[in-house]
Amino acid sequence: MHWMAYAGFAIVLWGLNGLFMKLGTNRVSAQSMVIWVTAGFVVLLPFLWSGTTLAGLSASVIFVGLIAGTVNGLGNWAVFACLEKGAKASVAIPLTALYPLWTIVLATAFLKERPTSLQWIGIALAVAGGAMLSYEPAAAVASPEEQPHCVQ
Amino acid sequence: MQTDRWHFPVWLWYALLCIFWWGLWGFLSKIGSAAASPLQMQILFTLGMLPVAVGMLLRMRWKLDRDRGGVIYGILCGVATGLGTLGYYAALQEQNVSLVTPVTGLFPVLTVVLAFVVLHERLNKVQIGGMLLALASIVIFSI
Repeated sequence: MHWMAYAGFAIVLWGLNGLFMKLGTNRVSAQSMVIWVTAGFVVLLPFLWSGTTLAGLSASVIFVGLIAGTVNGLGNWAVFACLEKGAKASVAIPLTALYPLWTIVLATAFLKERPTSLQWIGIALAVAGGAMLSYEPAAAVASPEEQPHCVQ
Repeated sequence: MQTDRWHFPVWLWYALLCIFWWGLWGFLSKIGSAAASPLQMQILFTLGMLPVAVGMLLRMRWKLDRDRGGVIYGILCGVATGLGTLGYYAALQEQNVSLVTPVTGLFPVLTVVLAFVVLHERLNKVQIGGMLLALASIVIFSI
């Protein structure tokens, strides 16, 4: 199959995921969403395990992978809380997708990597874009209580 | 009483917190993926999420929201993210990462379109400009 078909598959599912996040947090709490999303990941575990094993991985790599999963789960909770507190999906999803900005900062600080010129442009665009995405005139900001609990 | 003064909304704090955690995830993934395959990393991520889910359950004193729609959308979030990641890895087997990652990084466009159509969300002009800049930066970060 052509690579664009696989990439398109990923785009459709990840794009839909942003919608599901908002629809889910309109119905259950952010904490509950973390649990149900984790259940969704666990559903895929047998399929993943049929394709590989963890044999051969060092303890330190396994530890890093597990901690990465934990911080990913905390990130999931934060994005659900963000949506629960009234953020629009069309703002929260592009905004939180800017997380590589922080990854670059950490890689620069701890892995001694140096951002390329292009990445510096990306950093500038991300900061400007993030600030602009976050902008809502006071009159347009509605508290979560004022918003309909269920959309659709 | 409504005032015209802009205040730092609560949701924005959580968005920044999310960027902090996911950014750290990206950093740790970068370290781990030097020795582990994408599938192995995906398994470890899933196992690593379990303590967070248990922690949430304890915080909620086991009173989990069971609204049918919420449960379905929650599980779909997990399945869609996981399957999408597998599609991403499959694309990487056929094409260079420098091409696949920027293309798949455009997924927020679909979310914005779906939010416009399904949730009737509307962005102001500043936010539309911000979204375009954010998308450009996502593509650049992916290269």
